Amino acid sequence: MGISDVIPVPVCIDEEIEKWTIFGQPVTEVWFTTTEKIHEIIQMGPIKNIFNWGRKNSVYFLMQPMGCCGVEMFVFGAAPYDSDRFGCIPRNTPRQTDVMIISGYLTRKYLPVFKNLWENMPEPKWCIAIGECAISGGPFYDSYNIIQNTGDYFPIDVYIPGCPPRPEQFIEGLINLQEKIKQRKDKRGY
Amino acid sequence: MTNANEVLSSLQSAFPGALSDPRVESDTRLWVTVDSKKIRDVCKYMTDKLGFDHYAGSAGVDWIARNEMEVVEIMTSYGAHNVVAMLKVKTPRDNPSVPSLVDMYWNANWYERETWEMFGINFEGHPELYPLLLSDPLVGVWPWRKDFKGYPDLTTGERAVQITTPEGYTEYRFPPTPAEVEAGTVVTERPKYPTFREREEAWIKSDSEMIMHLGPQHAMVPGPFLLDVLVEGERVKKAFLDIGYIHKGIEKIMENRTWLQGITYTDRMCYVASLTNNECYCGAVERLLGLEVPLRAQYIRVILEELSRIQSHLIGTGEFLTLIAGVGFAPWQYMIIDREKIISLIESVTGARLTHSFVRFGGVRNDLPEGFADHCRKVLPYMKSRIEEFIEFFAQDPIYHARMENIGSISPETAKKMGCAGRVLRAAGVPYDMRIEDPILVYPELDFKVITGTRGDSADRIDCTLREILESIHIIEQCLDRIPAGPIKSETKIPKKVPAGEAYYRVEDPRGEMGMYVISDGGDKPYRVKVRGPFYATFQTLTPLLEGVYIADAVAIAGSMDGCPSESDR
Repeated sequence: MGISDVIPVPVCIDEEIEKWTIFGQPVTEVWFTTTEKIHEIIQMGPIKNIFNWGRKNSVYFLMQPMGCCGVEMFVFGAAPYDSDRFGCIPRNTPRQTDVMIISGYLTRKYLPVFKNLWENMPEPKWCIAIGECAISGGPFYDSYNIIQNTGDYFPIDVYIPGCPPRPEQFIEGLINLQEKIKQRKDKRGY
Repeated sequence: MTNANEVLSSLQSAFPGALSDPRVESDTRLWVTVDSKKIRDVCKYMTDKLGFDHYAGSAGVDWIARNEMEVVEIMTSYGAHNVVAMLKVKTPRDNPSVPSLVDMYWNANWYERETWEMFGINFEGHPELYPLLLSDPLVGVWPWRKDFKGYPDLTTGERAVQITTPEGYTEYRFPPTPAEVEAGTVVTERPKYPTFREREEAWIKSDSEMIMHLGPQHAMVPGPFLLDVLVEGERVKKAFLDIGYIHKGIEKIMENRTWLQGITYTDRMCYVASLTNNECYCGAVERLLGLEVPLRAQYIRVILEELSRIQSHLIGTGEFLTLIAGVGFAPWQYMIIDREKIISLIESVTGARLTHSFVRFGGVRNDLPEGFADHCRKVLPYMKSRIEEFIEFFAQDPIYHARMENIGSISPETAKKMGCAGRVLRAAGVPYDMRIEDPILVYPELDFKVITGTRGDSADRIDCTLREILESIHIIEQCLDRIPAGPIKSETKIPKKVPAGEAYYRVEDPRGEMGMYVISDGGDKPYRVKVRGPFYATFQTLTPLLEGVYIADAVAIAGSMDGCPSESDR
């Protein structure tokens, strides 16, 4: 892809610059290029670790209580357990969040709303399923209104068992997710 | 004071021939079957002449063996007496229909809508018989009928079929069997009704009006619900409420579990106040079994329920403060820090933070641990000083009062007419508390006040909440002084099968009057468990309260109700 494909305006370039390279590529292609190309280049160098380090330490989650686990999520985000220590801050709108916590029973009526919330979140994003109800239906396994297979609808990265799990378990799950982000083993591509 | 026998004889003399199968369980409980043509007259007579001014809900029961359905109207009174009358109306199962009571009791609206969508019982004369809890695909399958097959039916395992939807998602559905198609028992025609969106958009009359959605995702309410407001400028003209986003079908699930397993489901009904829910269910079953709870177990129950009330009030107040402060989390943090101290007290006894399953039929699961009383006596004075500080802080803050006074205020007459209970009613000045009205356990021996407000507005509700915490602390201190030694469980062996019968039991939940109506057919599982949720009753009053207020106040009013949508959805 040349410069003229991306930038329609005429650009004056020194002949010498065209000889420069960065990560083995002509520098002109790197400077004037598309987002995909930038991501390709990020993958090549050690700079990718810096990105993942930053992502790992700013996992903002959506305050989205849906059940008993939601009340524990309140406590996890508040002073006694202080999730801020791990860069995990509760946010009120999906537009500002990186992590969706499915904190309870997902009903058939709430599923479309929940999908909408998930799609409102910017990439890259992760998903944690907390509690038995979110994992498999839990005590409501034979309810007519509960979705038993949340994993089919959302790409869940970490499952935290418990009914409800204690806030300490939330922290453990969060640290597991951070490890995953660091090692780039999440399902969401880059 | 009136008792159940007097009520029954008065009814029998006024309506000869209309009543059958009367049963008087005690001075305060009355069951009677009423002819469906006379039910409206009987209710009117009871309200006008006998002081039954509190319509506490209705329950549908499907008697599939007798091929009939029943609607039980639960009538009681705001303080005039403590008789609870259960009026049963019978209707054939093929085309069930009973007269509606909406024009007599405003709050019958939601109860009847729920009974319609769950059982398919039609209410003649109901103005808006639309689904309340269920999503549209489930309306018309009548899930609480006894012949409903579940979704997915894991007990048989064979009929739930995995289907990939056009969007690429997986769903589990029940295709009808060929035999059912031949017999014609498959539901092919669904009831037709305008959807929630069509209903609310019909109210838009001019271009200057628009609908604003508040929810269903809320950051600071422990559960989702949809509150839509029709606004013109900054003013709310009308509010619409859509609930059922975490409807789990607990009442149906409990019919498929043993009596003991049912306790765990009451925990998850309202996870902020699970001990009172335990108490309500266990109390009802104890009435059926005829069990006496030992004195020590009664004291333990009272201590834990009051601790549970304190933590519920703290989290409710914290939610409210966060809602009115916008993005500020600071008041929330104070409440949560204090709440953790109470939670650790409860945890030292029950072993769980939220879902305790602690109360058992005829007693409690385990005794208080060593040193519990000392630990309590350390925490409670601290809590008392904190709450007094909060009360003083609220009382002297002019900004808070300018913002909250006369916001969402409700008069005692209106509150009674709307069927409120709990602190919404008490803030309006009606001293109606189940611990006094229908005393259980050792509450009659304890000294405590019923906290009431004067104006019934949001500020009063929060003030009542905080002062109720002080009363709870006072109750616990008395219990710690008086608690005797002795057994913690009834010596009678609890049978697996509970004798046939029915019982209605009321407790004072942190959110108001909670009642459970339990029916046994002599088996090892409940035949029907009806929950009269306290927040379900309060939630209904939210929409009329919002008419005419500013949008910013709508949030404050909804927050001051101390909502737990999980318990209203069940």
